[in-house]
Amino acid sequence: MFSVLKNLFLRSVVVALPIATAAVPPAVAKDIVWARYGDIDTLDPHRATSTLSLQVWSLIYDTLLATDADGKPVPNIARSWTVSEDGTEYTFKLADGVKCHDGAQLTAEDVKYTVDRAFDAKNPSVTKASWGPIESATVVDPLTITLKLKTPFVAMVPFLADSFSSILCRGNATVGGFGTSAAIGSGPWKLVSWTKGDRIVLAKNPDYRNLGKLAENKGPPYMDRLVITTVPEPQARLAGLRTGVIQVAEPPIDDVPDLQKSKSLNIVVAQNTGQNVFWEFAVHRPPFNDERARKAVAYATDAQAAIDLVYGDLSLREHCPISRGVFGNDQDFCARHGQDHDPAKAIALLKELGYGPDRPLEVTMLVWTGGNREKLAEVFQSQLAEAAIKAKIEIMDIGTMNARVRQENEKPTGIGSMDMMTWSWYDPDILFALWHTPGAYRGFTSPELDAMLDKTRVLADPAARKAAVQDVMAYLLDHAIHVPLYTPGWEWVFAVRPDVQGFHVAPFVYPIFNDVKF
Amino acid sequence: MARFLAGRLLMGLLAILATTVAVTLLIHLVPGDPVQIMYAQSQGTTPEQLAEMRHMLGLDRPILEQWLRFVLHLLHGDLGVTIRGQQPVAQLILQRLPNTLALAAASMAIATAIGLPVGFAAAWWRGRWADTALMTVAIAGVSVPHFWLGLILMSVFAVQLEWLPVGGTGWAGLVLPAATLGLSNAAIVARMTRSAMIEVMSQDFVRTAYAKGLLRALVLRRHVLRAGLVPVVTMMAMQFAYMMGGAIVVENIFAWNGIGRLAIEAIFQRDYPVIQGFILVFATTVITVSILLDLLYAVLDPRIRVRG
Amino acid sequence: MATGIAGSFWRRLRRNPGGVFGLLVLGLLVGTAALADWIAPYAPTRMGAGHRLTPPSLAHWFGTDEFGRDVLSRVIYGSRLTLLVGAIAVGISLVAGLAVGLTAAYCGGWTERLLMRASDVLFSFTETLIALACVAVLGPSLENAMLAVGLAGIPFYARTCYAAALVECGKPYFEALISAGAGHLRLITLHLLPNVLPTMSVVATLGLSGAVLAAAGLSFLGLGAQPPASEWGAMLSSARELINRAPWLMLFPGGAIALTVLGCNLLGDAIREAMDGRGRT
Repeated sequence: MFSVLKNLFLRSVVVALPIATAAVPPAVAKDIVWARYGDIDTLDPHRATSTLSLQVWSLIYDTLLATDADGKPVPNIARSWTVSEDGTEYTFKLADGVKCHDGAQLTAEDVKYTVDRAFDAKNPSVTKASWGPIESATVVDPLTITLKLKTPFVAMVPFLADSFSSILCRGNATVGGFGTSAAIGSGPWKLVSWTKGDRIVLAKNPDYRNLGKLAENKGPPYMDRLVITTVPEPQARLAGLRTGVIQVAEPPIDDVPDLQKSKSLNIVVAQNTGQNVFWEFAVHRPPFNDERARKAVAYATDAQAAIDLVYGDLSLREHCPISRGVFGNDQDFCARHGQDHDPAKAIALLKELGYGPDRPLEVTMLVWTGGNREKLAEVFQSQLAEAAIKAKIEIMDIGTMNARVRQENEKPTGIGSMDMMTWSWYDPDILFALWHTPGAYRGFTSPELDAMLDKTRVLADPAARKAAVQDVMAYLLDHAIHVPLYTPGWEWVFAVRPDVQGFHVAPFVYPIFNDVKF
Repeated sequence: MARFLAGRLLMGLLAILATTVAVTLLIHLVPGDPVQIMYAQSQGTTPEQLAEMRHMLGLDRPILEQWLRFVLHLLHGDLGVTIRGQQPVAQLILQRLPNTLALAAASMAIATAIGLPVGFAAAWWRGRWADTALMTVAIAGVSVPHFWLGLILMSVFAVQLEWLPVGGTGWAGLVLPAATLGLSNAAIVARMTRSAMIEVMSQDFVRTAYAKGLLRALVLRRHVLRAGLVPVVTMMAMQFAYMMGGAIVVENIFAWNGIGRLAIEAIFQRDYPVIQGFILVFATTVITVSILLDLLYAVLDPRIRVRG
Repeated sequence: MATGIAGSFWRRLRRNPGGVFGLLVLGLLVGTAALADWIAPYAPTRMGAGHRLTPPSLAHWFGTDEFGRDVLSRVIYGSRLTLLVGAIAVGISLVAGLAVGLTAAYCGGWTERLLMRASDVLFSFTETLIALACVAVLGPSLENAMLAVGLAGIPFYARTCYAAALVECGKPYFEALISAGAGHLRLITLHLLPNVLPTMSVVATLGLSGAVLAAAGLSFLGLGAQPPASEWGAMLSSARELINRAPWLMLFPGGAIALTVLGCNLLGDAIREAMDGRGRT
């Protein structure tokens, strides 16, 4: 009867209610909600390299040095440092009274713990090469630490300002779940929880003192909590911004001009990103073991047209393997060596290799998710098609892509593989990390290039170092190993609700929330 | 009754076991070397290290042994760990499963609340213009792709009118995804209800009741509905399966944090442990609900129990 | 005017407005797919055929997308992919389903129980899951999506075929033929198959709509057609981000899918009614 039906209906609703309630997280008043297109890989700074992860590490952990508005390293936890005559010994004096999130004092022991862990023989940090050739870390006294290097390495100092070198508190060695559910640092925000793929909840660290970071607030953050959510859909982020559920997020790139005009949201464009997006290739097998094929791709690509179409004036054409704002960048020099858009040359080169309209060169183009890159990839695909290169686009998140690029480099067979790779760095030393044997992805290496890269690491004199860096760049460009496309490239545009004050982005795309108030 | 119950449970268990077999085989069906695909991110991928990985995962043992290991771990509640970040898969899935169930339940409520009365009304006014009108709308509803409907609803209610949030969490975030799935399925429910009601109404016992002179409305309430409830319950099993399937796409559109969204992410990331876990949990959920509904069916219709 | 069973079938079908509509839609689909090269005003992959994101106009009846590609041309060429995917997926389901269902009904005994139980188990997984699992293993591509949807449909086709074949196997003439010693293959192909086909044709027509929806859904998720393919589901996926700026991008591909599916559903219903003889309305 009706009663039976009614009962059934009510019963289903009653069942649904507690289930749905379980799915609803409690709403807290003073949360800053920052929505991003993807999630971190891990809370452990030694196990990943994505910007998505880096940005969060910079909130939880602190570093020995910090970056000023121009991207130069300044004191932070390390108040001062001295360098030995031969440039192989650095001694840092640490500030007193820095507290870890578990209450312990941060001392030179924690710095030693971090360095030793990064160089652990069995499980070293993925960015071990960027620390430099550190032989040992010695605790002189609780507030003094000496790092001894095998050979001089000038780029270590700026590295110590980057969150890859985040100081891990010793407590992490014994706490369970370090990297997945626990992360003890000394940064402005403490970890409360990480629900993979959904959100990271951080609470303000009341003991935090700002010793050098680019924020006006010298003490703990003003707001109680910072919630970093994963919202892959740009429209969903925009809608969240409009309704106030989200305070800061990357808006749909297409809507940015309208938003700037209407002023309904504040658009913050990060400066000094150091980001470089480039083509690289699987060079250990045909066709890309032959530099003519690589050059053909470079000639067929019209990066300017592509970024105009997809990013408007938010992004710039970049000719150098290291982007503007980084030491050594010189657009004119690089333009002389690289391959600019010239489809005729591309077709000619492909013809030499035996490819043409009836026999197109088939390749896989790997691209990572977010930021309208799928659109960019389609534009490039279309450009390459005009030069008889048939590219199959494969889109995956950055972590997967990194793995896949390496895999393609190690595979002896298969169709050609190229990828739109991206790195952001504050120093030309990134070229060492990328292209010195064994290579970040086991890609192109050569003894010539290794020798040139070694030189860039040890020269302290700026003019000499610049010349060495330019030699490296010329080599990379002439042989189409690293084909620069544009900068900035990812997560550099933020939309902020008008009632939110104090949000800004430090160089190399590190958002700062210490000053945020609303 | 007991025999019937036992029979259904056995079938269900068999289905779940079959799922575990399929899931064990899954990794081996991947073109290329799955271990290399999965662990390419770690520091070492020398052939020795890959072999070690393979051994650790048990992929170098005979299939039967692999399956037994899988089932053994399963009984301990262990579904392995994710490739990226090494998180326990079981925990990940169980965290999100309630969200998908909530979505399915809410959608079913909407589909039933709309579809049942519509189908009923169409059957009542069978042959007349109301019937044709309702059934035309229903068939249009069946034809509209639910992902298209989702986009349209999002465009109208979340973007243009800004009445509701575009996805996310919470009650408000549930409305649009549930409405999308619910409306899609309401059309199917309406059609099936209508044919079920017509079937019932044309049966002998109803005509006998009319002959006895009972009022049409009374007959309807007392006899038709009771008997008509049986196919509705049958429908619910199908509905639930449909909802779970549809949830995969809808969760993606509205960023609803359920297992469907997890599965799609895992597929793009080639995170096979998560994919395996998802398939198992999804199938088990559907099978379990279907058994429960079969039981309900048996309670309502005694004839089924005897047949077993 | 044809007389007999076939004739009356067609007459009933023609009298059903839904059936006529369905036939027209299917005809439109096939026609568009066949004549795409002639009727499409632009190449579907040509970027910059017009300004980006222009609404429908005389130059571009369905507007342009974010790359300046003509949406009308893309929808027209998309019909080819839809037809291809639908035909192949249904083909796989049908052939495999017939094989399984006929074998089970004919052979009986253990074979029957095994096949049907297996089919039931597979059926309980839901088609979405099977399709998803296939694509997860094989990787996203249109070919894999076709295969996945085809495989996912087999249990349903097998069950329906089995039920229909069972009816036939139970008939006296059939048992007579068996005892007369007729060969297995002869019995199955000459007697079972033709009598099962009418039911299966309804299933196939309705199944076509399901296959089109399933494949479009997979493409929508990015697991089916890959760029620059102008598949309707994939077009909806890229329209997602632009729903407030360019609603026409969502309107036309989605409408095309809905129209195709509607046509198949109406036609399937009409065929079923025409075969039944008595109206189910």
